Amino acid sequence: MTLTTTLTDPAAPADATPVLSVRDLWISFPSEAGPVEAVRGVGFDLQPGRTLGIVGESGSGKSATAMGIMGLLPPSATVSGEVLLGGRDLVGLGDKELSGVRGNGIGMVFQDPLSALTPIYSVGRLLRDALRVHQDLTKQAAWEQAVELLDLVGIPDPRERAKSFPHEFSGGMRQRVVIAMAIANKPSVLVADEPTTALDVTVQAQILDVLRLAQRETGAGLVLITHDLGVVAGYADDVAVMYAGRFVERAGVDQLFRRPTMPYTARLLAAVPTVDSGVHRPLVAIGGEPPTPADLPAGCPFASRCAVALDACRAEEPALREVTGHGHVACLRADEVADGTLDPAGPEGAADEHPGPVRTGAGEVVLRVEDLVKTFPITKGALLKRRVGTLHAVNGVGFELRAGETLGLVGESGSGKTTTLLEVLRLRRPEGGRIEIAGTEVGTARSAADVRELRQNVQIVMQDPLGALDPRLPVFQLLAEPLQAIGRDRDAIRTRVHELLTLVGLDASVGDRFPATLSGGQRQRVGIARALATEPKLLALDEPLSALDVSVQAGVINLLARLKRELGLAYLVVAHDLAVVRYISDRIAVMYLGHIVETGDTEAIFADPKHPYTRALLSAIPVPDPQRERTRERTVLRGELPSAARLPAGCVFVDRCPLYRLAGEDVRLRCRTERPAPSVVAGQPGHAYACHAA
Amino acid sequence: MLRHVTRKAAGWLLMIAVATNATYFLASWFLDPRSNYQGLRPVRSEAQIDVALAPYNLDPRVPLVDRWWDWLTSVVLRFDWGKSPTGVSVNGEIGYRSLVSAELVVLATVLSVVVGVALGVHTASRQYGWADRVSQAVSIVVFNIPTSVAALAVVFVAIWLNQHAGLHFLYVAGENSPDVHGLLPTIGDRLLHLILPTLTLTLMGYVGYHLTQRSLLLDTINADFVRTAQATGLTRAQAIRRHALRTALIPTATSVAFSVPAIFTGAIITETIFGWNGMGRYFVQTISKNDVHGTVATAAFAAALTAIGAILADIATVFLDPRVRVS
Amino acid sequence: MTSDLATGAPTPSPLGQVPEAALLPIPRDKRRLGLGRLYLRRFLRNRLAVVGVAIFLLLVLFSAFGDVFTGYSYSDADFAALTQPPSSAHWFGTNQGGNDIYASAVHGLQRSLAIALSVSVLTLVLAAVIGSGAAYFGGRVEKATLAVIHFLLIVPSFLILALVSHRLAGDWRVLIVVLTAFGWMSTARVIWSVSTSLRERDYVTAAEFMGVRPLRIIVRHIIPNLGSLLIVNLTLGVVATVLSETALSFLGFGVQTPDVSLGTMLADGAGTVTSAPWLFAFPAGLVVLLTVSMTFIGDGLRDALDPTSVTGAAGGRR
Repeated sequence: MTLTTTLTDPAAPADATPVLSVRDLWISFPSEAGPVEAVRGVGFDLQPGRTLGIVGESGSGKSATAMGIMGLLPPSATVSGEVLLGGRDLVGLGDKELSGVRGNGIGMVFQDPLSALTPIYSVGRLLRDALRVHQDLTKQAAWEQAVELLDLVGIPDPRERAKSFPHEFSGGMRQRVVIAMAIANKPSVLVADEPTTALDVTVQAQILDVLRLAQRETGAGLVLITHDLGVVAGYADDVAVMYAGRFVERAGVDQLFRRPTMPYTARLLAAVPTVDSGVHRPLVAIGGEPPTPADLPAGCPFASRCAVALDACRAEEPALREVTGHGHVACLRADEVADGTLDPAGPEGAADEHPGPVRTGAGEVVLRVEDLVKTFPITKGALLKRRVGTLHAVNGVGFELRAGETLGLVGESGSGKTTTLLEVLRLRRPEGGRIEIAGTEVGTARSAADVRELRQNVQIVMQDPLGALDPRLPVFQLLAEPLQAIGRDRDAIRTRVHELLTLVGLDASVGDRFPATLSGGQRQRVGIARALATEPKLLALDEPLSALDVSVQAGVINLLARLKRELGLAYLVVAHDLAVVRYISDRIAVMYLGHIVETGDTEAIFADPKHPYTRALLSAIPVPDPQRERTRERTVLRGELPSAARLPAGCVFVDRCPLYRLAGEDVRLRCRTERPAPSVVAGQPGHAYACHAA
Repeated sequence: MLRHVTRKAAGWLLMIAVATNATYFLASWFLDPRSNYQGLRPVRSEAQIDVALAPYNLDPRVPLVDRWWDWLTSVVLRFDWGKSPTGVSVNGEIGYRSLVSAELVVLATVLSVVVGVALGVHTASRQYGWADRVSQAVSIVVFNIPTSVAALAVVFVAIWLNQHAGLHFLYVAGENSPDVHGLLPTIGDRLLHLILPTLTLTLMGYVGYHLTQRSLLLDTINADFVRTAQATGLTRAQAIRRHALRTALIPTATSVAFSVPAIFTGAIITETIFGWNGMGRYFVQTISKNDVHGTVATAAFAAALTAIGAILADIATVFLDPRVRVS
Repeated sequence: MTSDLATGAPTPSPLGQVPEAALLPIPRDKRRLGLGRLYLRRFLRNRLAVVGVAIFLLLVLFSAFGDVFTGYSYSDADFAALTQPPSSAHWFGTNQGGNDIYASAVHGLQRSLAIALSVSVLTLVLAAVIGSGAAYFGGRVEKATLAVIHFLLIVPSFLILALVSHRLAGDWRVLIVVLTAFGWMSTARVIWSVSTSLRERDYVTAAEFMGVRPLRIIVRHIIPNLGSLLIVNLTLGVVATVLSETALSFLGFGVQTPDVSLGTMLADGAGTVTSAPWLFAFPAGLVVLLTVSMTFIGDGLRDALDPTSVTGAAGGRR
């Protein structure tokens, strides 16, 4: 069944006794460079049934806070302060006393469901053991309860599935199991640390619903830790923003999003791309990077990036204090921001660099893909590999890309978008169909020189900038590598490397540094510079922003837009985040199970999505605005992306399609037996979708 | 599963066949059986020696290919691995000596595994405690002592004890005493002879298990799933025992499975020093006595047992690890 | 085949394989130390490793210049002093043939060191090229290489070693060739399995997409990133070679008279452990010092090069 729900606010009265009170929590870890203060004086109250969202970027100390509450920090960590659970202080308790609390008074949901479950036990056994730790149950009774719990969190056929091992479940299903384990003993507090980060958006929506259900079942207070402002807007009652180990703003969700008062929060919200309807809002990059916990400046840690910082801000760190009509804010100028007399973006105001897709006019066709096919053999058995089937990763995909244009390929993991990109980059004759780059068909090149010429025209920017840069080479060598590969001489290389660094906004001194000493944003700029070294016509961007912190993303988005404008590049972007794609793409192709199900101009697709999958995908993305997030209509897709090993004869989306279930019998028959061909939307040239029912 | 094992076994069999035949040619090339007769009195002529070797299919005047073919047919058709240059049956020798080796190595293997794994688990869960540091240091030193040195040190201490503490049950040579009769006294006598070589082998063997088990467990201790187990309410020690340990034992189990057949190939240096007529000593003797057939048979025996070990290890993995158990 | 020998069969290294994490880059460090300085600092903090380096250097000096302090040569026989315990004339005593044990020990250590160092370097180079090459090229090259490795692992390599060195009677240079020829497989297999994971790294893929040639990718991206694994394997290789040389020579298959190595000295002393313990004790002590010091060094290097190591952070020490 498809849920079409609007969210209601299940907030309980705010004056009840808190189930969890954290007072002045400090956590530090030892390191090569001396102790690192990961958490510096965090405090909050959590009422039963309510949700506190803790938002922060990487290194802000949000996960350390969660582990500190759970008493799961490594023994080398130093903790001080109070964690009061039902009035009992957990800080300083021994492992034995804490184990009586964990799983019983507090349950925890972890970030990565793939590694969170012991691989050698069946999920039923894991749940049974979790129940028997705190309850005096027979094995049989505990197993029955385990099956009920699996049913509760939405595992189909729970009695059978309880016997399965974790590796036999998909990521979303495993996360449901983790949630079941967390609520097994009906704890009064749940801690969820980035519970949906490792999952696809459509699955994220399902898991958030399960979490909501679990909370309702147990009446527990929830501490939800995430980097995603949209998730917080839809889910939390109160929000705390963490920066450099401290809460810098804490308020009710509506207050916080209506008027963010800490300049960091305000700028963060201005920097987040959204999918949500309305005008195309320009993104304002914050500039700079979050400080590392090991190297905190004196004074307000945000001062160096803040547009409205005063001298006093750099002298002493402002305390978290109450601001009338708002929540608590750690900013000297909070009052001015709160009453609207000060714009946190600074006097220069917004939009210094107008971002967004500026189409520079359709140039020559840089990339033409026709009817591309790519399959992988499926092998079975870990010891002896046998081919048991064929995975149809890409199936008849075709598109065109012109100079100065950006095409975004979007879809869930397993949709074939990355495979398509890699097939283009491989520069070999494809298994099926044809690929043409700048007028030359791939695979027809005779000489090595022809291949090298093609190579020069296509370059890639990879998802994880740290992984894509060899850690043992300094930046100069990294940038020189593609130039050496095309046979440039030493002087030409030196000149070009300096040009490249300037082009992506990096200082020349960066050339001597190793990737490990750069920040995330700087690394991705190096990655972009390297891709541009050979002056390609086409740049393939594989999830170029997903490894970056929100406050850094906007800067890279703006850089990409500027480079496209100045150099007339064509971008082929693969991304799972539709909000990001919206900001960099002129056109979008939505992929599902190796097929393009809808394609069109970005704004046309956002304004008027035709294919049911596109609609579901758009609706699954949380909007960082509590009002709209809680009232908008949502289509939550059921199930997860099926395997591309056995494609249905008809429409590939038929198993999860909400329209199919509502359609008449004749349409249903067509959906099941006939694969839909793309049809063009009337009045919108270039906007096509493949659906019988829409 | 059965099909998989059969296919795998067939592959190994092919490799063993190739390896054995290659060894035959190598051994025929490198070993000179005539030397067994050259030192004898009265001095024999070359021709006389060749004649003496002929019944054993070792006559150097016969082309190597012909000798090889005779040897091969005899192995394949009658499973007869030939005779030594002095006419002793290789089959008989290996049959007897592999059992002697087994007697020597079985107990040592069991003790090594038990001591090593127990120590590894104990020290890993108390990393950097004094027990960990001491046992780690001892094991690293023992790991680096050549077997000959360790065995001779054991002999030295035993002789010293015999002389100074008046002990007489620590035998430093042989499998048994020649003048013992009756069932029970024989068993007792053999057991007493086992003490020192078993001690040596255990000392040499436990180290590997201790150090690998320790590092395996340390790798697993910080896994996410151990943290999840703690979050359900287990203490750290319980979570390690029930979740990390079970997972970390799988590779050890496979390596034990791998080493089980090696029991029958014996322990060269320990057998040499303690004067046990097992497979290890046989191997040394066949080479120094230029016994081509004995050498080749030893190689085939060892290769076959390696293959069996590998298959056992595969089966153990499939049996213990659900991730590999893909139906 | 044999459970008490350190040849051929994959011996468990004292602390297991270098963890995968050892190949990851060093995390961001606030003071931006040079990597070399950071490694050195971590290495020096490991006291055992420093002791290991000191012992090893002393042994090298002893083998190189030890004979300056004695008038005897290992091959001289002093018929006036047969089987004499240590004295002022013969510091380490003499053996049955009247050879000076001190002079023999200096020479034997020299031999054993030369064999161990050259074999472990040669083995490592061979294993690195074959292992990483197989991993990088994949496909048929990989399959064929692995088949050869598995084949050589099933051939009882100790037996082949014994056969060959038995015939070629004790030339230590032949021993080097033979030990190398049958010693590279298990290391190659380890390097292969680590390289296959390196091969999947983004920066290797990125280099391919930039058009960098395969050989250059192996030399520039794969082998340097195997660095810590290779260095640690080098030190462990020295230990393994010393142990195999000792075992072979002990059984009479390695270095042979009139040449002397630590292994032959052990074999000579074995028969007279109680009546003339000095014949055995001095070479035994040297062998153990050599292998233990190398292991300490290898252990220190592993900790120093492993970015996830907690050493130092918690003041812990192995």
